[in-house]
Amino acid sequence: MPQFLKDFFNRNGTGMGLAILGLVLFWTIGLIILPQLSMLDFSFRPNLPPPEIGGPKDVYTLENYKYLIYGPEGGSQDYNTVDLRVFFRTLVAAVCVTIFNLIICYPIAYYLGQSEGSHIRIFAIMLIIPYWINEILRAFALRIIFGETGVLNTLFMGMGIWDTPFDFIRNDIALYAGLGYAYILLMIFPMYNVIESLDKNQIEAARDLGAPWWRIHWRVVIPYAKPGISSGCTMVFMLSAGALAAPQILGGPSSLWFTQLIYQQFNDNNDWPQGAAYAIVLLVTCILFVLAVMRLFKVNMGDIGK
Amino acid sequence: MNNSFLRISIWVYLAIFFLYLLGPLVIMSITAFNSSGFPRMSPWECLTFQWFGELFQDQRILNGIKNSLIIGLGTVVLSVAMGLAGALMLTQIWPKLRATYYTIIIAPILIPGVVLGISTLVFWDRINRMLGLGADSFLSNGIFLTVIGQSTFIASYCMLVLVARLQRYDIALTEAALDLGASHAQAFRKILLPFMRPAIASAAVLAFLASFENYNTTTFTFGEYPTLTIELAQKVRYGITPAISALAFIIVALTVFFALLNEAKLKRQKLVAAARKNATVEELAGKIKLPSFFAGNAAAVLVVVFAIATITVVGTATAYDPGQCIADVREQKQLEAEQRIQQLREQREERRKQREAEEAEQGGAQSTPKPSNNSGFGNVFAPNSLGGDESESDDGSSEADPAPSNNSGFGNVFDPNSLQNDD
Repeated sequence: MPQFLKDFFNRNGTGMGLAILGLVLFWTIGLIILPQLSMLDFSFRPNLPPPEIGGPKDVYTLENYKYLIYGPEGGSQDYNTVDLRVFFRTLVAAVCVTIFNLIICYPIAYYLGQSEGSHIRIFAIMLIIPYWINEILRAFALRIIFGETGVLNTLFMGMGIWDTPFDFIRNDIALYAGLGYAYILLMIFPMYNVIESLDKNQIEAARDLGAPWWRIHWRVVIPYAKPGISSGCTMVFMLSAGALAAPQILGGPSSLWFTQLIYQQFNDNNDWPQGAAYAIVLLVTCILFVLAVMRLFKVNMGDIGK
Repeated sequence: MNNSFLRISIWVYLAIFFLYLLGPLVIMSITAFNSSGFPRMSPWECLTFQWFGELFQDQRILNGIKNSLIIGLGTVVLSVAMGLAGALMLTQIWPKLRATYYTIIIAPILIPGVVLGISTLVFWDRINRMLGLGADSFLSNGIFLTVIGQSTFIASYCMLVLVARLQRYDIALTEAALDLGASHAQAFRKILLPFMRPAIASAAVLAFLASFENYNTTTFTFGEYPTLTIELAQKVRYGITPAISALAFIIVALTVFFALLNEAKLKRQKLVAAARKNATVEELAGKIKLPSFFAGNAAAVLVVVFAIATITVVGTATAYDPGQCIADVREQKQLEAEQRIQQLREQREERRKQREAEEAEQGGAQSTPKPSNNSGFGNVFAPNSLGGDESESDDGSSEADPAPSNNSGFGNVFDPNSLQNDD
């Protein structure tokens, strides 16, 4: 038995040590690593009926990935424009949602982090309450507001700003508002945690030295809050790119989210390998994108999740 | 920049922000009480509680709540256990592996829920096949798969909550217990667990809430056991009713209530601690005078107000009958619809008049008899034929609308049947 295992069991006792080790191994290997590897393996296989699995036809193939790029064999188009367009639109929209959330949440996080008083506690509760409400119900609430006879249309038509109902859902405004709404808390809290620990004297000093307010933020607060900002942005980006409920409920009839394509492959087409391949593409692209952006802004991986 | 201007703009910004955050929930809650069949706030029709009754008669929703509770319980047990083991491992893992280990256990938070659901489904399906079990085995059971899939990432949340408290734990306490002859299991149960209890409680609440509201992972794994969230999603996707608003209202009210209750408890603890600290020696020796429950505790007062409001609303709901109001609204709607039909008819008539006038100009005297005109009046003159049309259309409208039997006023004078009509 290697030395570190011996130490581990000495420290925790055999029974407790086995229990801890067993649970951790079950979680990391049984629930995290193996299922992902299994999905990766699955995505390289053809879609076969159950009796043929493991048979001579069950060989590795790139077909599922080719399908995303080139579309069905013998199709009329050179590339699978429909799915590719959905894929890039999802990524671009997720980036937009992230930036939108960053802009609206930064002032709030700064305010909550730097001011004192009992009202901060009330604000914190008001922030958390919407997050406890079901994701579906939050999307439903926005649908009531953005619907054709919804609150916004009634309000603006009553005020005479426009006279025919504006279709927020078809124009995807409802979708973006819903995605931003869903992940506000995940953006605020990491930033708040970091900004709260910023010494107020630094801001005072910058002010005394004559820096205008925007320069204080640019040179003092933002560099300090960078780990919080990056973990908030990472979470919001990953979650909105992987969102399924909001696009299903708030998305227009003509616009699809990439996760909806995955869902369709699984539930409507019953083509699991194809769906797994799409899921792998989404996961890998998102991870690479996040790593690239972190490299660009010189953020370390270790800062995330603090 | 002016200081007061800055302050005002901050407050305006805060107001808009919280309007965006809380407004939708408030509006959704209000729509639960409107009798309109589509969830909306305006036009306000009647105050009604019928949607709550409808909600509690919906078998699918009730079944979904039951499944959600079972799955939530399983997820809480599994993910708190794994999270605690993961946190303990993190504090004592050999340093070389620490960064890798941390990345692995934190990754499920960032992996999209859809991917977690798919990988769980695919992996356990494969295990199931390798073991040669059928499609109805335990490993392909919806509840098992959902618990496993959700725990994968919920355990990471629990781990983060638990490790924050574990870092403040003094390992010397366990060592002292061991030196005094406790076994490892006893030291864990009697020393570490009581220390970790608040964190375990919050991790459990967090895990339950996360499990209860999860959609992305569950939608791939639920099998034959749809949770409440799945049922809601299906309902919302295929037509929305105020019954969902009613459910949302209940959830919002419960959330607010428990948040206030928790807040009141915390505040109370703080006040008691402050009173103990400020107490004089003789007060401590004798009876310490603790502040009363409501003194200086706004949250506690709010909890009571909230409870009273709930009782009032429920009381009203049992006594209140919106039947009259709903009937009124229906009548009014009918009237409006009739008016609209009338308007449409007049418009059509107007257009026909114009067209006929044009035709009359073009055709002149040689106008051919129109087959549509069966008023029994001569078609020789164009103006007369118009009058005939008028009377015909009025007859049509009085058929649709029984209340005013004869509202034509002028057209029917030319009608041969008008005398009988008047009788």
